[in-house]
Amino acid sequence: MIQRLKVPFINISVVLTVLLAFSSCSSRDRLEGHIYYRLSANPTTLDPALIVDVPGGSISAKLFNGLVKLDENLNIIPDIAERWEIKENGTVYIFYLKRGVLFHNNQEVTATDFKYSFMRILNPKGRSPNTWVLEKILGARDYIGGKTKDIYGIEVLDKYRLKLKLEKPFSPFLNLLSMTAAYVVPEKEVEKWGEDFSSHIIGTGPFILKEWKHNNELVLVRNNNYFSEKAKVKGIVYRIIPEDLTAVTEFELGNLDVITIPASEYSKYSNSPEWGKLISSMDGLNTYYIGFNCSRPPFDNIKLRKAVTYSIDIKKILRTFYEERGRLAKGPVPDILRKWEMTFATGYEPEKAKKIVEEERMKGRAINFYVTADQEVIDIAEIIQSYLKKAGFNARIKQLEWSAYKSAINNGEADIFWLSWWADYPDPENFLFPLFHSSNHGASGNRTRYTNMEVDRLIENGQRAESHVEKNYYYMNAEKIISEEAPWVFFWHKKDFTLRQPYIKNYRIYPIYSIDKGTEVSF
Amino acid sequence: MKIYVIKKIALLILLLFGITLITFTLTKALPGDPVYNMVGERSSPEIIEKIRKEIGADKGIMRQYIGYVSLLAKGEMGRSYHTNRKVLDDIIMKFPNTLKLAAGAMLIAVPFGVLFGFISALKKNMMIDRFITGMSIAGLSIPVFWSGLMLMLFFSLKLKLLPPSGTGDISYLLLPSITLSLPAMATLVRVTRVTVLDVMNMPFIKTARAKGISERSLNMIHIMKNALIPIITVIGLEFGSYLNGAVLTETIFGWDGIGRFTMEGIIKRDYPVIMGCIIVGTLVVVLINFLVDIIYHYIDPRVRIHGTDR
Repeated sequence: MIQRLKVPFINISVVLTVLLAFSSCSSRDRLEGHIYYRLSANPTTLDPALIVDVPGGSISAKLFNGLVKLDENLNIIPDIAERWEIKENGTVYIFYLKRGVLFHNNQEVTATDFKYSFMRILNPKGRSPNTWVLEKILGARDYIGGKTKDIYGIEVLDKYRLKLKLEKPFSPFLNLLSMTAAYVVPEKEVEKWGEDFSSHIIGTGPFILKEWKHNNELVLVRNNNYFSEKAKVKGIVYRIIPEDLTAVTEFELGNLDVITIPASEYSKYSNSPEWGKLISSMDGLNTYYIGFNCSRPPFDNIKLRKAVTYSIDIKKILRTFYEERGRLAKGPVPDILRKWEMTFATGYEPEKAKKIVEEERMKGRAINFYVTADQEVIDIAEIIQSYLKKAGFNARIKQLEWSAYKSAINNGEADIFWLSWWADYPDPENFLFPLFHSSNHGASGNRTRYTNMEVDRLIENGQRAESHVEKNYYYMNAEKIISEEAPWVFFWHKKDFTLRQPYIKNYRIYPIYSIDKGTEVSF
Repeated sequence: MKIYVIKKIALLILLLFGITLITFTLTKALPGDPVYNMVGERSSPEIIEKIRKEIGADKGIMRQYIGYVSLLAKGEMGRSYHTNRKVLDDIIMKFPNTLKLAAGAMLIAVPFGVLFGFISALKKNMMIDRFITGMSIAGLSIPVFWSGLMLMLFFSLKLKLLPPSGTGDISYLLLPSITLSLPAMATLVRVTRVTVLDVMNMPFIKTARAKGISERSLNMIHIMKNALIPIITVIGLEFGSYLNGAVLTETIFGWDGIGRFTMEGIIKRDYPVIMGCIIVGTLVVVLINFLVDIIYHYIDPRVRIHGTDR
């Protein structure tokens, strides 16, 4: 019988050998001169009208341009517009376009293209979720509502001059124009492809979309006719790798040139003498927080909101669990955007928390703590839960997947919830108006349903302010009230860390993805 | 045979109708709103309402369902809420990858699973039987998530033999196929072992042995052929389930298949994607069962698919 059994085992080894002979080496055949990045998910779309996710926004920044853009210090600088004038108390903007800016199909960009692109976002029959970016333009709301056939606030003065008139002064307006939704698209191509434009992208950017294998990879190639600084690499390949450990393996094999360091791998790389020096970090424009439902008991009570704040040792969580991958938050506005002094309104004072809980008769009463089903979030939630328990709160963690979670918190089902807010544009207004203005309850951003007329007024004044000093004065006062009334427990501003291969030069990360046009990085 | 095929097609239509209705109702009953995923973090109630109208989510469930069925009747599956791409086009693009992965996994699982199960039965209670049984328990209990990562670390990172992720030629297919084959192989080992042991104790085997038939032809013809029915049933079930996608394996190895596509659809409440994947999945399972029935017909004369011989 032993003799007979040999045969199958020989067969097995033959099969394995054949299989391995078919296989190639673990290193991929790389496209020469191309830099390889990782995306954790397939970009939903590359159509600027529809993009709401970071991968889509980050890639579209390399394929498109707007009138203005942000520089690395978060200043507004010219993009396709070479200059602009602001008139009539900040309600009229006249943009002078650069001549000879070409779409990837060699058609020249004119003011008419901008008008078409903006109207496309606001189209009453369209499904762009980004209408808020341009709805400050005079007549935009009527047009979205189908009441008018034109937007009288957008006027093509001539081929290279575009006039935008706003309903009322709005100080961050130029910031809005640096966003994805304000990129210019070619009318002919959009009309030709219709709903499939996303797969046949024609923009003006430093890169051209060559191939998009959905859920696999995207290949961009350098646009040699680009009107500004041309890319140093021949192209970019984005590989879509959902699993972090797989991406790390690919990076270590040299199949990826740059990766965002997964939280689980952070200490390994930061403590490595070899890799440590190849880590880039950036103070992110974001704020992580616990939000209270301020519209109903128990957390319509400021004292109880403060008790929660007193009961959590955020500093310790940041140092131990979070491995210092962030900076403590003093308020909702990230420190790098804040141009005023701010002190911590509350700190870790567990005894004070216990006392308030006793006084307010909250001891042991159940509160719903909603979190997403992300492992890091669940870990943090459990730490917070234990702190709350010590103070006398009985927090029940309710994990929901993202879609159900968003519905629940938008509808005000949670007592408290864990969330973060990432900047759309670098202005304190972006961390105040959507999140704390009473007109934005629910899906518009103010998920705590916080309402304070004084805060509303201060934010509105800031939006209308003509000078930076005036604007900052209003925002400072709004932030101080918010910080005192604690509709959030302010946790931290998360830092981003990336790791690059030693042969990658001039690589850096930016606080907002749209700044990175991909033109500087080289081998 | 003709009547059987007609019956099967009629059954398939009924099944599709029932499954689409149940899935449609259940997905709509789930908590979570697809529009919230489409609008990002900041959107006014008016825009949310406008998009809801645009995708038809403002209508009643029955009207939505009828709308979907009439779309299907035209041979379409609609567009994804998120990517705005045609669901059918995406499925057509991804299905061959899933087919490759499922076929790869079965090509490894079936010969090895049946072989080891057979050896295990022949060597019952001996060292090799215990070893194979132990390995099959391990194969069933180790999650593919772990085995996949281990295989990747060993074959890609240590030996630098195979690419860790991506969708491409056979070199990309090997690791996910091996990972996916392990639980199927383990199931097949156990089913084969039990079935072969059953057959070995049947009177006709004793008769055959008494007639002086050689051990080799006894094993290959009498035992194996009689043990094939349950084995083929298991193969059909496993293959059918793999053709509906293997979410974890596809995720670990970045393989662009139906499993990941379905999962993303579910997470984002992308109803056209969920429905499209379920319809294709149902078709595949019915087709595989049909093939299995035909195979039964050929390997076991007692099974007659038109049912008139008995």
